[in-house]
Amino acid sequence: MAPPTWQITDFGDSALLAKAVGSGPEHCWQAVQRLADALEPDDRVIDLVATYDSLLVEFDCDEVTHTELTEAVHRTIAAQPTTPAPLRSRAFRIPVVFGGSCGPDLPAVAEELGITEQDVVDALCSREFPVRFLGAPAGAPMLDGTPFAQPIGRCAQPRVAVEPGSVALSGHQAVIYPVRSPGGWRLIGRTPLKLVDIADEPYVPYQPGDRFRFVPIDADHWSDCAAQIVEVVDA
Amino acid sequence: MPEELQVRQAGIAAITDLGRRGLARRGVPVNGAADQYSAAVANILVGNPRSAPLIEITATGFALSTTRPVLVSVTGAPAEVTINDRLGRMWEPLCLEPGTTIRVAAPTGGLRCYLAVHGTIDAPTVSGSCAPDSLLGVGTQLATGATVGLRSDYRPVDHPVFRHPLFCLGAAPPRFPDPCTIDVTDGPDIAEFPTGRELLASATYAVTPRSNHIGLRLAGPMPPRLSSAEVLSRGIPVGAVEVPPSEELLVLQRGRPVTAGYPVIAVATKIAQDALGQLRPGQHLRFRYRTVADAVAMHRARQHRLRTLANRVCTVFAALGISCRTA
Repeated sequence: MAPPTWQITDFGDSALLAKAVGSGPEHCWQAVQRLADALEPDDRVIDLVATYDSLLVEFDCDEVTHTELTEAVHRTIAAQPTTPAPLRSRAFRIPVVFGGSCGPDLPAVAEELGITEQDVVDALCSREFPVRFLGAPAGAPMLDGTPFAQPIGRCAQPRVAVEPGSVALSGHQAVIYPVRSPGGWRLIGRTPLKLVDIADEPYVPYQPGDRFRFVPIDADHWSDCAAQIVEVVDA
Repeated sequence: MPEELQVRQAGIAAITDLGRRGLARRGVPVNGAADQYSAAVANILVGNPRSAPLIEITATGFALSTTRPVLVSVTGAPAEVTINDRLGRMWEPLCLEPGTTIRVAAPTGGLRCYLAVHGTIDAPTVSGSCAPDSLLGVGTQLATGATVGLRSDYRPVDHPVFRHPLFCLGAAPPRFPDPCTIDVTDGPDIAEFPTGRELLASATYAVTPRSNHIGLRLAGPMPPRLSSAEVLSRGIPVGAVEVPPSEELLVLQRGRPVTAGYPVIAVATKIAQDALGQLRPGQHLRFRYRTVADAVAMHRARQHRLRTLANRVCTVFAALGISCRTA
């Protein structure tokens, strides 16, 4: 497939948005992540946010102009290899207690999809999910490609507090809440593992390109791995 | 030699700085002082680096006592400042003698005051910043009776005539009108709102009580959108004016989630973001359109004024034998 082309637009007085177009979603996402890797924050670039098909570049407009930075981004794009190596991808195994108090929305999600709760769990555990990017709150792994025909709706009323480790679905996406926070996605399970450790650098051990596999566990086995940090199982 | 300041009345106060930069790609927002300009000036006025830890006081009164001589400054929203029983000036350095209590009354016409102290305030940092982040569970909220550790080499200076040193360094306080004018540039999705620019420029919006450090919610006319297509999640800067399907505009603040999926009609300028950080529920605002070039020019001019102020402070402090680290 042809590599994406880029549309770079101003996003206020201190940011640019670089959007990858004209290629498949997988290619655009990989190109966006690679561009972010190549741009690493420095004195001029303050922050980067790389998602599916776009990269937000925040900069100090006292140090560099929009034009200078746009040209610098284009130069970085031009310097990318034409046949880039695949993104580094490591596998993580995530034990999850599905349903019950850990996943209060599982029955409603199953009903919405017209299948049993066990079918939902089996489908989710039958494949790996790529980490597309780290989002809010606190480095949440944004996973996508849920194996259901129809998108899953959000909660009519977002919850004020979702427990850390909660596994949630929305649309064709999945996420694990790393910390206690408000949330509007549908909760189907919860992992006893700890995702974020602010005493560590980086706070979370996974990165875009890694793969998550959910493994169902019995609530009785919660304490076996409670509060352990998520670990790579296959580099 | 570390010493301690005593918090006599905390209200809602926390130790903060200019924020936690460079972690947005890892899903961590910048946070830090809501009014970056006032925080930077407070630090410059006591000879500190702009990004030094300082105290952010939100909507309430605050009082601090010292048993050693300290040099402090108070900036931000207009508030009555008293040193024991005498009035103190905001936006200038204030010399406190041992046994003094400085009180900052609840602000009028804005939301947040900043109190900086010459030297280094002790505060645990995460990734180089002490800024509170409620989701990461980090930050130092101050409680009445708490102590604040301070390392400072400040020695008292004395005015030969007036006894009390009086500074006149000329820092420029921002204005806090109601309604407040918020400068914006076009957002990336302006084309989806054919009447959006005219509507935003002519309407008055009210800050609703559900506003916080993540986002301000604004009640007022909602611009009609041509498309109903979902926007794929993408990185969104602080200051983005989002148009969600609900009845309120959402203006993102420094604690924002780093990605969002609502169309962005406009983006508040760097300077306007500080004004947004001072708006309280019930206050009104109007939008005014600027070009990106104008917004950049205004930001650069203000940064130049800050550098000039920092140089002036260092010149004066050098003459008085006060150490200065504003460079």
